[in-house]
Amino acid sequence: MASSPQREAFQVPASISAAAIGQVTTKSLGVKYNCAQCAASFSLGKNDAIRCKECGHRVIYKARTRRMVQFEAR
Amino acid sequence: MTLAKFNTLQRENRFKNPPTDKNDIYPLLRDAVQPHIGSFNALTDDNLLNLGVKDIGKKTIFDNNEGIITGNKLKVWVDSVSIAKPSVSPSDKLSLNRKTLPFEARERMITYRSRLLLTLKWTINDSDEHTEVREAGQIPVMLKSNRCHLEKMSPQQLINVKEESDELGGYFIVNGIEKLIRMLIVQRRNHPMAIIRPSFGNRGAAYTKFGIQIRCVRPDQSSQTNVLHYLNDGNVTFRFSWRKNEYLIPVMMIFKALIETNDREIFDGIVGDETNNSFLTDRLELLLRSYKTYQLNGQQETLAYLGDKFRVVFGATPDITDIEVGKEVLQRIVLVHLKNNKDKFRMLLFMIRKLYALVAGDCSPDNPDATQHQEILLPGFLYGMIIKEKIDEYLQNIRLQITSDINRGIGVNFYDKKYMNRVLMRVNENIGQKLQYFLSTGNLVSQSGLDLQQVSGYTVVAEKINFHRFISHFRMVHRGSFFAELKTTTVRKLLPESWGFLCPVHTPDGSPCGLLNHLAHKCKISTIASNVSTVSEVLSRLGMLPADSFAAGPKLCCVQLDGKIIGWTSHKQGKIFADTLRFWKVEGKYNLPLDLEIGYVPPSNKGQYPGLFLFGGHSRMMRPVKYLPLDKQDIVGPFEQVYMDVAVTPEEIENNVHSHVEFSPTNILSILANLTPFSDFNQSPRNMYQCQMGKQTMGTPGTALIHRSDNKLYRLQTGQTPIVKANLYDDYGMDNFPNGMNAIVAVISYTGYDMDDAMIINKSADERGFGYGTVYKVEKIDLSQSRRRGDPITQHFGFGNDEWPEIWKTKLDNDGLPLIGVKVEEGDPILAYYDDTLGKTKVKTYHSSEPGYIEEVKLLGDDSIGEGQQLTIKYRITRQPLIGDKFSSRHGQKGVCSRKWPQIDMPFTESGMQPDVIINPHAFPSRMTIGMFVESLAGKAGALHGIAQDSTPWKFNESDTPADYFGEQLLAAGYNYHGNEPMYSGATGEELRCDIYIGCVYYQRLRHMVNDKFQVRSTGPVNSLTMQPVKGRKRSGGIRVGEMERDALIGHGTAFLLQDRLLNCSDYTQTPICKNCGSILTTQTSVPRIGSMASIRCRRCAISLSNYEGYAQDSEIWEDGHGKKFVGGDDTTTVAIPFVLKYLDSELSAMGIKMKYNVEP
Repeated sequence: MASSPQREAFQVPASISAAAIGQVTTKSLGVKYNCAQCAASFSLGKNDAIRCKECGHRVIYKARTRRMVQFEAR
Repeated sequence: MTLAKFNTLQRENRFKNPPTDKNDIYPLLRDAVQPHIGSFNALTDDNLLNLGVKDIGKKTIFDNNEGIITGNKLKVWVDSVSIAKPSVSPSDKLSLNRKTLPFEARERMITYRSRLLLTLKWTINDSDEHTEVREAGQIPVMLKSNRCHLEKMSPQQLINVKEESDELGGYFIVNGIEKLIRMLIVQRRNHPMAIIRPSFGNRGAAYTKFGIQIRCVRPDQSSQTNVLHYLNDGNVTFRFSWRKNEYLIPVMMIFKALIETNDREIFDGIVGDETNNSFLTDRLELLLRSYKTYQLNGQQETLAYLGDKFRVVFGATPDITDIEVGKEVLQRIVLVHLKNNKDKFRMLLFMIRKLYALVAGDCSPDNPDATQHQEILLPGFLYGMIIKEKIDEYLQNIRLQITSDINRGIGVNFYDKKYMNRVLMRVNENIGQKLQYFLSTGNLVSQSGLDLQQVSGYTVVAEKINFHRFISHFRMVHRGSFFAELKTTTVRKLLPESWGFLCPVHTPDGSPCGLLNHLAHKCKISTIASNVSTVSEVLSRLGMLPADSFAAGPKLCCVQLDGKIIGWTSHKQGKIFADTLRFWKVEGKYNLPLDLEIGYVPPSNKGQYPGLFLFGGHSRMMRPVKYLPLDKQDIVGPFEQVYMDVAVTPEEIENNVHSHVEFSPTNILSILANLTPFSDFNQSPRNMYQCQMGKQTMGTPGTALIHRSDNKLYRLQTGQTPIVKANLYDDYGMDNFPNGMNAIVAVISYTGYDMDDAMIINKSADERGFGYGTVYKVEKIDLSQSRRRGDPITQHFGFGNDEWPEIWKTKLDNDGLPLIGVKVEEGDPILAYYDDTLGKTKVKTYHSSEPGYIEEVKLLGDDSIGEGQQLTIKYRITRQPLIGDKFSSRHGQKGVCSRKWPQIDMPFTESGMQPDVIINPHAFPSRMTIGMFVESLAGKAGALHGIAQDSTPWKFNESDTPADYFGEQLLAAGYNYHGNEPMYSGATGEELRCDIYIGCVYYQRLRHMVNDKFQVRSTGPVNSLTMQPVKGRKRSGGIRVGEMERDALIGHGTAFLLQDRLLNCSDYTQTPICKNCGSILTTQTSVPRIGSMASIRCRRCAISLSNYEGYAQDSEIWEDGHGKKFVGGDDTTTVAIPFVLKYLDSELSAMGIKMKYNVEP
């Protein structure tokens, strides 16, 4: 990746129970999307057409969240 | 013995560095789909579409259709057809990549299609030619065909466009679903077949069961069937169907119309020199004499007569003479595979002679169910036939449009470009849409019926459950849905004629058994005609008499090439011709094509009608065998194979008997049947079961799964290469799609939990990942679905500014879409959207009792510029093996996991090995799957020595047994020769009384899992009409206790159980009934008054207070809901009934029938 976005630091979960039930502490984040064709990363506005900003492709993947997702492995 | 190899490093390297050479693929896999792709390519490469539009011809339209004056003449025709490559629409200015690639079609759930361009031409009054290229919509395009962008891509390039590295193509993508046209078995083209069919007699008074049927195929691959019927007086009629209507013509009329002929010529052409055969001469006399009643002399008169009769049927315009119409009938109907009328004439003579031979019993009827008389209707050709028909319809619509313009009094002016544009504008040009309909439904909408016997079921979904299933679709041939309804089972029989062409093992059990076959893995289908131009000349040089010589009948050998009589010779010579031709074609001399089929039918006593029949056309089944005289490969077809001596193994060859030998006996098996290890040791139905189960396995559908949006996808997480595998396994690249796991299997009755085909899985093996699988489900959400076309968007993805529960944010991101990777359970929000009309933020929820994880969220754009309205969410559902999940070995030995047994309690061998799987010994005696024992032995030896084992069938024999071969290997590794080992009880540590057969078997996990099947209910939703439980697992309904179950309960005398099931757990209701009048419909609850309770009263037996004579006490008066007052009707009680009784009663009362129940205390 050319310009690696600021990686969010790992936050110690406030309470282990919240993490245990698979919940994620909410924090406002700009959501990133990737183009299915050229893999360009970008964000989308609310009423934007679903088009890749680079190549105009019409399938866009939502990027995996940078927040920690944790489950109780039981 | 040849050794199998694991090729682990090569495979790893191939995945890491996909080949950049487009030819570096698995050739056998490419060949497997060749019939599909080759036939589609032939549409354009072989000009089939252009030949088709040429055959349609020109449509003539006049601008005045009243009276004799016809006015201006417009001729319209389609000059040529072309198909573009899939691309984005020209109005799209944003896309950098102008190509539309298949992965986009899959992900966006659209059709992979490209524009169909028609060059439309017209002349006015035979001059003034206009040309216009019309775009007739977008037609779905076959993947990897010459109209597809993937055609010439290397594995590396394929990966770059998000495909499998070894994408095969051969299918279409319609609305995001992969569809393929399945191959159909049809009658062999251009060969007259003798048929005895009792239903032929139903056609009319004199008709008999005898007939000669020929399926003639035009150069554009559309066909027309002609039938000659024998009438019991010896006459012959010619039958054909045109636009789904049947027509009958005396065959003499066709003779006379074809060429300028005379009775002598016809007599000679049928009888030849057998003038003393009174059977023939009698019939000929009648045939010739009876025609005299028509009083038609000469070709012209006959043509005019025919033309007059068929003028309306063929829609001929007034400017064409009857003679021309008659000629068109002959050209379009009679023996359409031949161009020349003289050839048609000769062929018809031959057919009549064959008919007479059949009637006289001199020759046997041909079996239409034998592969000898069959060929394959290929997908591309069918597709082309439909395109042709739709173009024909298009031209007809232009004519209809102009006629309706004339009738409506709209100014029709052919010279006016504006008018012509208006006509073309108003005609439905969208052929692409019709083809898309065909592919998505499999229904054939056709005027002519395309000479086929069915109207639906032409397409199937190419399911990617695993690779076995996927590849099998392309090798599947169906006999036709017409035969599926047939009560007789003759069509389903496995005939020896299909040796090497259709797999004897790979057919499903149940209703499609024998109708749905699979091609043998080496069987090819010709998609282009071979060059047979030299054949005739070569035969002439060998001494063949020309076609027009004085010859007829089965006493001489008729030489036919693709249904055209090219000459005559003696039977002795015919045999020499056949042998010489074969030698030369294998040698490659005189430009004779190798795949020429030389069907020499020798003279016989009441056998098949003799002759030398050569075939070089399309759609034939072919297979390679070794030609012994030259030790070279020969290609043989099913017609000739019947009369050939092909040895199965080299040892079998007998001098002066065998001319050919199989390259390998496994050539007769399909791809899947070849993958069953040691299938020659199994009882045959077990191999059929394995072919079915291999296709239901939870395996590896592919590697490009993230670019797919299938509704449901199964994936085995830890697939392995089998230790025991046939060498063909590697040739087909099956290791790229592993389908199971190697398991250590002990055959022992140990826990008591292994009865009735149950199997026990080692709990620790399970925890190590044995059989772990995943199901991916995709849900498509389209917000515009609730909105009508043209309405503005009212629902938007994402949260609105109103108040909504904060808890939604635990699963959803700021954009209102779920967080990738989050776990969702039933009722959890998966998507938030804001509804303008309600002014509220709403959520869609997850509906499945099984928790899933959000794997992917894909936003799908559409052609409009506005905001997106569609997206797909892919859920990952974990499926670790559970009790109740189904597993099987590769020998039709399926079983259900009954326990996960703790490893500490599992039995162990002297070396400390503990089995992964325990199966019960009782699974073997009745099923006789010895192949599984051999696999176990081979797998054990292979695992001990670190080698792969070849399990190709027919490699061992009585003197060289696998028990010895693998026994020696086991012995060398220090194990028991027979594969038995002493074992110790895991519970007590004591040695078991007998040795246990333990080895390594490849196990498949089948996709039938309890989580998709379990159905429980105590109470739940009921049908509102009957108050009985609803049905269906999805609706948490019940399972019906049907009549047979009821019978069993009665038989056991379990009356209370019966009542419990049929009444208490179903629609048990308590209802008030009037004891006086015995009705359950007229009772009602009275309105409670102060001082007294509500009571049940019968309204029918009560008397209205106003009509009541006498004095009623206050306590006797009751009131209904409307305030009306009554007296009496208090003789009621409560009974228990099934609620449907109430329903029945009300239905009956609607019919005016009263039900009265006698109630006793």
